[in-house]
Amino acid sequence: MKGNGAFVKRAMVIGGGIAGISASLDLGNAGYDVVLVEKLPSIGGRMLQLSETFPTLDCAQCTLTPKTVETGQHPRIKLVTYSEVEGIEGKAGDFSVSIRRKAAYVDWERCTGCGLCQQKCPSKNPSEFDRGMGLGKAIYTLSPQAVPNKPVIDPSHCRYFKEGKCRVCEKICPVKAIDYEQKDRLVEERVGAIVVAVGFDLIPKESFGEYGYGELPDLIDGLAFERLNSASGPTTGEIRRPSDGKVPKEVVFIQCTGSRDPERYMPYCSRVCCMYTAKHARLYKHKVHDGQAYIFYMDIRSTGKGYEEFIQQGMEEEGILYLRGRVSRIFRDGEKLIVWGADTLTGRKVEVSADLVVLATAMTPRKEAKELAKKLGIEADDHGFLTEAERKLRPVETKVEGIYLAGCAQGPKDIADSVAHANAAASKVQALFAKH
Amino acid sequence: MRKLGVFICHCGVNIAGTVDVKSVAEEMGRVEDVAHSTDYIYMCSEPGQQIIREAIREKGLEGVVVACCSPSMHENTFRKAVKSQGMNPYLCEIANIREQCSWVHQKDREEATRKAAEIILATLEKVRKNESLEPIAMAIDRRVLVIGGGIAGMTAALDLAEGGYGVVLIEREPGLGGHMAQLSRTFPDLDPALPGLVAKASAVERHPKINLLCYSELEDVKGYVGNFDLTVRKKATLVDWEKCNGCGDCIRDCPVEYASPFERGLGMRKAIDLFYPDSVPSKPVIDREHCQYFLDKGCRRCEEICPKKAINFAQKDERIELKAGAIVVATGYELYPMERLGEYGYGQIPDVIDGLAFERMLSPNGPTRGKILRPSDGKVPKEMVFIQCVASRDPDRYMPYCSRVCCMYTAKHASFYKEQVPDGQPYIFYMDIRSDCKGYEEFLQKTIEERGLLYLRGRVSRVFQDDGKVRVLGVDTLTGRMVEVAADMVVLATAIVPSPGVKDLAAKLRATVDRHGFLTEAHIKLYPVESSTKGIYLAGCGQSPKDISDTVSQASATASKIQALLSTDKLLQDPLIAFVDEGICSGCGICVEICPYEAREMDRRRGISVVHEALCQGCGACIAACPNFACELRNSSASQTLRMVDTFVA
Ligand SMILES: Cc1cc2nc3c(=O)[nH]c(=O)nc-3n(C[C@H](O)[C@H](O)[C@H](O)COP(=O)(O)OP(=O)(O)OC[C@H]3O[C@@H](n4cnc5c(N)ncnc54)[C@H](O)[C@@H]3O)c2cc1C
Ligand SMILES: Cc1cc2nc3c(=O)[nH]c(=O)nc-3n(C[C@H](O)[C@H](O)[C@H](O)COP(=O)(O)OP(=O)(O)OC[C@H]3O[C@@H](n4cnc5c(N)ncnc54)[C@H](O)[C@@H]3O)c2cc1C
Ligand code: SF4
Ligand code: SF4
Repeated sequence: MKGNGAFVKRAMVIGGGIAGISASLDLGNAGYDVVLVEKLPSIGGRMLQLSETFPTLDCAQCTLTPKTVETGQHPRIKLVTYSEVEGIEGKAGDFSVSIRRKAAYVDWERCTGCGLCQQKCPSKNPSEFDRGMGLGKAIYTLSPQAVPNKPVIDPSHCRYFKEGKCRVCEKICPVKAIDYEQKDRLVEERVGAIVVAVGFDLIPKESFGEYGYGELPDLIDGLAFERLNSASGPTTGEIRRPSDGKVPKEVVFIQCTGSRDPERYMPYCSRVCCMYTAKHARLYKHKVHDGQAYIFYMDIRSTGKGYEEFIQQGMEEEGILYLRGRVSRIFRDGEKLIVWGADTLTGRKVEVSADLVVLATAMTPRKEAKELAKKLGIEADDHGFLTEAERKLRPVETKVEGIYLAGCAQGPKDIADSVAHANAAASKVQALFAKH
Repeated sequence: MRKLGVFICHCGVNIAGTVDVKSVAEEMGRVEDVAHSTDYIYMCSEPGQQIIREAIREKGLEGVVVACCSPSMHENTFRKAVKSQGMNPYLCEIANIREQCSWVHQKDREEATRKAAEIILATLEKVRKNESLEPIAMAIDRRVLVIGGGIAGMTAALDLAEGGYGVVLIEREPGLGGHMAQLSRTFPDLDPALPGLVAKASAVERHPKINLLCYSELEDVKGYVGNFDLTVRKKATLVDWEKCNGCGDCIRDCPVEYASPFERGLGMRKAIDLFYPDSVPSKPVIDREHCQYFLDKGCRRCEEICPKKAINFAQKDERIELKAGAIVVATGYELYPMERLGEYGYGQIPDVIDGLAFERMLSPNGPTRGKILRPSDGKVPKEMVFIQCVASRDPDRYMPYCSRVCCMYTAKHASFYKEQVPDGQPYIFYMDIRSDCKGYEEFLQKTIEERGLLYLRGRVSRVFQDDGKVRVLGVDTLTGRMVEVAADMVVLATAIVPSPGVKDLAAKLRATVDRHGFLTEAHIKLYPVESSTKGIYLAGCGQSPKDISDTVSQASATASKIQALLSTDKLLQDPLIAFVDEGICSGCGICVEICPYEAREMDRRRGISVVHEALCQGCGACIAACPNFACELRNSSASQTLRMVDTFVA
């Protein structure tokens, strides 16, 4: 290990999405020890939920799992999942971070990841991972390829915790790993630098009164569409609408839902929705050849490499209909959802009767991001996106030496930009360590 | 006989939805030397790998076939897994039954199942004859070459130098900074470009770990990752920079003036001059094409006036030989030439200028000292037209892609214009407004509201000069009406294109470019700063158009990748390369000619061809070319290949 004296040349990465993973691998490969802290039971972040990714439409898991596996096997990366940062003290070269390791109610040292408990658990609940569309068990892993592949029990769904009986998993577990008495533990890690990569969330669809406050089952958000289109999702990749499982023949996609709307929602642009909506419409057309996809948009923003071409292809070759304008209301009419909007190019009102509506809701920071920023002593903007030291020339540094930003925690980005941003954060850590 | 294991992955439903994995696993289990055959939902998952590890241990397997996705995904995962049990990793092979089978035969389950079995049987043939190999370890050179001294190149160089690595930075102009040096104030916070830039440039110039070579270009590259041999041509500045103290007497005294390319033709420069007024390094060069001495052997005033005797008309270009372990290509961009834009007057209308020219006009150190004055007569323009997407997003005539920064800088330009000329009217023609990065939408909205900018959605069909005005004809697609503006001045946001010469440079580096000349990354999402050639990394606008913030992130990213690459003592290279049967090779030399990587050489003494292990990429060109069948690829020998083919035709 490179290290001498009091300056600790060991880094912590908070958040195990593609940004956190990329930063950890760079640092690990450069010979530094890394502690990767992830809130969920396993790493991968939002990319775990995606089906195929723009602009190449390759399968998200196929590109992600080599990275998660490499991270899991890396001799220099210590995974601390199902954990959150409680408090931080110290300064660059000597941070002392206390981490709450949440009770998994499973002894991970013993658990072999056989998965029997998950098969036998009788409790079935709407799965958050599948955006409420599929059913998950009370004892679960995020995916069959989870890294690490150890389950946790969600006490809010577990029958034993709720009703005092069941304990099926305890009986079935061949290595006696279930431990209902397990408590949260606080652990300390000493590190010299911290990369914050806590990623993003979406505005909940319940926020949109004009779109029925999330009460219309066939009105879903972008991540839900990703799950519908995923082979590992609730419909094993078939596009079927949640209410009745029918294949939708008319689908309306609405961009900028809650973005670029300073009066009512978020003033900023979420940067990826134009692209993922075009992707969704194209993937829909690949599966439902006789279906019609409509996209309501304000401006089409496809600025990355090959992105403009991606959009053009969708319009020209796949017959996706773009309507420039905002949607004012959506309501149910029998089996259909009626979408009222305006086409600002023709100046006319449009009405589409749709089978499924997909909202490209605004990307927001994680709700605890501000809180975390406070603990770290770094700044966040009004929304909670973490603030870089200088917009152009220091995009990954913060005002605190030794603390760096990576990925969507700093602002909305696509995967390519998240990865580059994370690599950049790793470079800054390496320079800091090399100086001491 | 080797004991083999076969592991078949379902890949969720990706494979198992089409291929009957159970029956294939059973079929493989019946093969004579297969000691273990099984299937699992995700072989790459931790429990999946555990199945492989346990089978190796318990059944004493000596070779493994994993039937799953493309080897570009998980070959590494499985080779590591077998290695952990003491098996040589090259005895593990992937049978690709997803991309090459289940995904393409979704409609025919029976045939897909049969084909999957055949692919696995063929791969078993390969594994039976595979040799145990060790990766080739190569010594590496820890220095890094950075090509291009714009904000991208400077950032990469500084990050690497701070990380403790020696850097050679070559810039073909006499000074650092690239296009950012031409900018006035930069979006989204509108602070002046120069102070931050000059601070960076000075840090580069002073850094003990950075060897800065300005006015220099890469002439030749040999070698490979970890060991590049480079030849750099340092062009003659005709001024001895060691002696020059930057007093500037020569510049003041030089009688020759000509239109400065840095000022986009709006200002003048001398035949001996700095790259630009605040240039770092602050040393002049003589331009032979304009210098009186080179025209008629006269003048020599600078030579007389120079107090340090630094002028040297006899100075010659210098060739410098260097070594490096990795290379960053940060060659940046140029703007699409106005001369090729017919509908905008072929660059002949003086009051039609491009975005960089307008930046020079807005710059306090520029030709008009920051005043917006139209070039033809120096008047303050009262009606200004800004046109976005000129030659961008126009696949039929110009560039199909979006140049990413024009929406933002046009809003910035129009805003500065309103600031200076409050009673003037700016019109902006646009297609979509793209302000998609942090704070950009807010910047744009604020600017539109505060400055009262008039956005017209539509394309301009023609721009022409008419009676002291520039007439702009276009359509407003929102109202569907024709618009005509009689403008005093027009600023074109022309497309960002790769900088000239990058195709040649890429060819030298064996890096690839797309059809427009932008350098291509290894994987658009996961390896955005790696080129497809090992050891060569990409930063900034040479890879694709981007703003300063993204350029800086990408440049730092290259530095991180390189530090990880060079942090080891030895670089490990895959040993799956060509070798020569010395008894058969007749020394004809055909392979030497054919090898695209210059990995073949004649051993004159023995009269045979030899393989340079570090250079060979295992492409197989020589194997096909050798008339005597004297070359083979390790673990893809002719006999292995033939036996694999036999499986399919049997
Ligand atoms: C519907 C949709 C489709 C998309 N499609 C594409 C596409 O096709 N192509 C593309 O390039 N991009 C796409 N994107 C964007 C892509 O998802 C992001 O660029 C990427 O996921 C960002 O990665 P990240 O690591 O920054 O954040 P995340 O993926 O959000 O990861 C952050 C991680 O940090 C963890 N975390 C959060 N808080 C804490 C905490 N306090 N402590 C510890 N850990 C914490 C989270 O659990 C998570 O694992 C899409 C986005 C959406 C919404
Ligand atoms: C009109 C205009 C206004 C802009 N305004 C803004 C703004 O306000 N904010 C913002 O964020 N961005 C702005 N940008 C974008 C900004 O200019 C770029 O993001 C940035 O300059 C890219 O830096 P770079 O280093 O990649 O390329 P460059 O600046 O082009 O630098 C490349 C360098 O490499 C050198 N070089 C090229 N080829 C070779 C070779 N073969 N050998 C050696 N050296 C070589 C060049 O001489 C040059 O010095 C603007 C762009 C334009 C056109
Ligand atoms: S005890 Fe809880 S987690 Fe275990 S099987 Fe029962 S419901 Fe599932
Ligand atoms: S395999 Fe390719 S790279 Fe290797 S020696 Fe033969 S031709 Fe050259």
